Amino acid sequence: MSADTEPMDTATPTDAIDYDGEFDAIVVGAGLAGSAAALTMAGEGLNPIVIERGQSPGTKNVFGGVLFTPTIRELVDLDDAPLERYVAEKRYGFLSERDETAVSMRPGEWLDEPHNDAYTVLRGDFDEWFAEQAEEAGATVITETTVTDVLRDDEGRVVGVDTDRPNGDLRAPVVILAEGANSLVGEGAGLRDHHERDEVAVTAKEVLKFDRDTIEERFRLHGEAGAAYNYFGEGAVGDAVGGGYVYTNKRTVSVGVVYRIEDAAQGQSPDEVLDEFKQHPAIAPLVRDGHLVEYSAHAVPEGGADAMPDLVQDGALIVGDAAGLVLNNGVHLEGTNMAVESGYHAGRAVASAISEGGVDDRALATYETELEHSFVVQNLEHYDFFQGLIAEDREFIFRELPRALADAEAEYFRMDRQPKEEHVQNAKDRLLEAFGGRLGALKRAWKYRKMLS
Amino acid sequence: MSTTQHPDVPTVENASIEDRLYADKYTDHEESHLGVKVEGFCTDRCDTNDCVSVCPADVWHVEDDDSVPTIAYENCLECGSCRFACPYDNVVWEYPENGAGVSYKYG
Repeated sequence: MSADTEPMDTATPTDAIDYDGEFDAIVVGAGLAGSAAALTMAGEGLNPIVIERGQSPGTKNVFGGVLFTPTIRELVDLDDAPLERYVAEKRYGFLSERDETAVSMRPGEWLDEPHNDAYTVLRGDFDEWFAEQAEEAGATVITETTVTDVLRDDEGRVVGVDTDRPNGDLRAPVVILAEGANSLVGEGAGLRDHHERDEVAVTAKEVLKFDRDTIEERFRLHGEAGAAYNYFGEGAVGDAVGGGYVYTNKRTVSVGVVYRIEDAAQGQSPDEVLDEFKQHPAIAPLVRDGHLVEYSAHAVPEGGADAMPDLVQDGALIVGDAAGLVLNNGVHLEGTNMAVESGYHAGRAVASAISEGGVDDRALATYETELEHSFVVQNLEHYDFFQGLIAEDREFIFRELPRALADAEAEYFRMDRQPKEEHVQNAKDRLLEAFGGRLGALKRAWKYRKMLS
Repeated sequence: MSTTQHPDVPTVENASIEDRLYADKYTDHEESHLGVKVEGFCTDRCDTNDCVSVCPADVWHVEDDDSVPTIAYENCLECGSCRFACPYDNVVWEYPENGAGVSYKYG
């Protein structure tokens, strides 16, 4: 992998061949975005190479637990994919220190294929399989190789990458950066800014092993049906802006917390927050006696539309987490679908630019245009108000509201010898107090009107 | 959290950090992929040790406010939290070479 003619180092097979000029595009990272880009380009007759640092695709990747598949379904046959369970139940639980108030839903429609395109998966299995699909379509995937920098020509155009292999530079007309939340190459090359710490969350997660029956009994599941539970409030992550989650896989349960690094810096470390979340009265019965098979952590870009870099720059395209394509507005917690969608559009843009004879930024700009017209940027922009709002209102949302809901419930259903009218009034008073009176309730309803719309 | 556990809430046996990391698979690498850029920032300016607070794997340790952190890089989960957390942007953070470091099986 060298531009000049010196003999190749023969330490590993990947060093032994001069790949320069062989490939139409270099994809940095074999996660969901990278493999989607490679698969799309290979499907268009191009010859892309994916460079992955892990021992196999997926070994460096972590997520909460739900893969959304509307786009991936168009690219591969999901019947062969290593899926764990489809999401048959969603639950949103507000946790105070010892209370839970939850909304749980099991629409019958989710039992039917395609199950609303939401599945729990294990990334070790899924990402490896997905990269294999790209290979079968004609892409080349090399592993245990870390891209350390981009190569530029005299005019500053990105013309390849450098890696940590001996003579490890490789040239190609286009580079797609799909390196994930820690986009060291993008930052180092000035293609994206370093995130501020209030724009990035950290997740810490355990994978706990159970027998299948235990999972199905605890979560009231059968067959391939699964559960996706999301939790908010001080019982989930204390004072922090964020939440906890519990997702069922076939024989394992993923339990984790995710909250802003800003809050971790000023409060408890992720492992301590995870300990307390697991011990919450609403969570402990779900996760007790699980056998720990893996502990993982990862950064999650949550800066929204404002934190997105220019998606096409100097012959490079940025996709997935590297471009900050994660939606978290409390109700919708999405990233996997956006990663795949961005990789797909990037791959199409490269194919169309190459077929039209030029890969300058103007030709590649269709990626940016297509992504802006897609649900990815549309959703990020629609919910962009949310991050600021939640930070300014955190005391109410994460502490006051879960407490007030639990108090009001206890009051509303109180069993004593007083007339119910009195209980109802007490419950209302408690809620109004939390909302800051009738006017406060109206103001908040107005502020948050876009959350469900 | 409440300090006294209700008898009808099951006690969850939380693994120690050591046991958590023991569950993970790592490939050794001899050189640290983590470091500090300018030791003076740690010794003279920093008194919050945010690198320690945010780390989910107990990688960063600081003896006292005037000392440079010690780094148990071999425990690193490669999450990047310290990289974002340091208010002085003083963390050296690279990927371990050739795929070394943590290898997630489940992810």
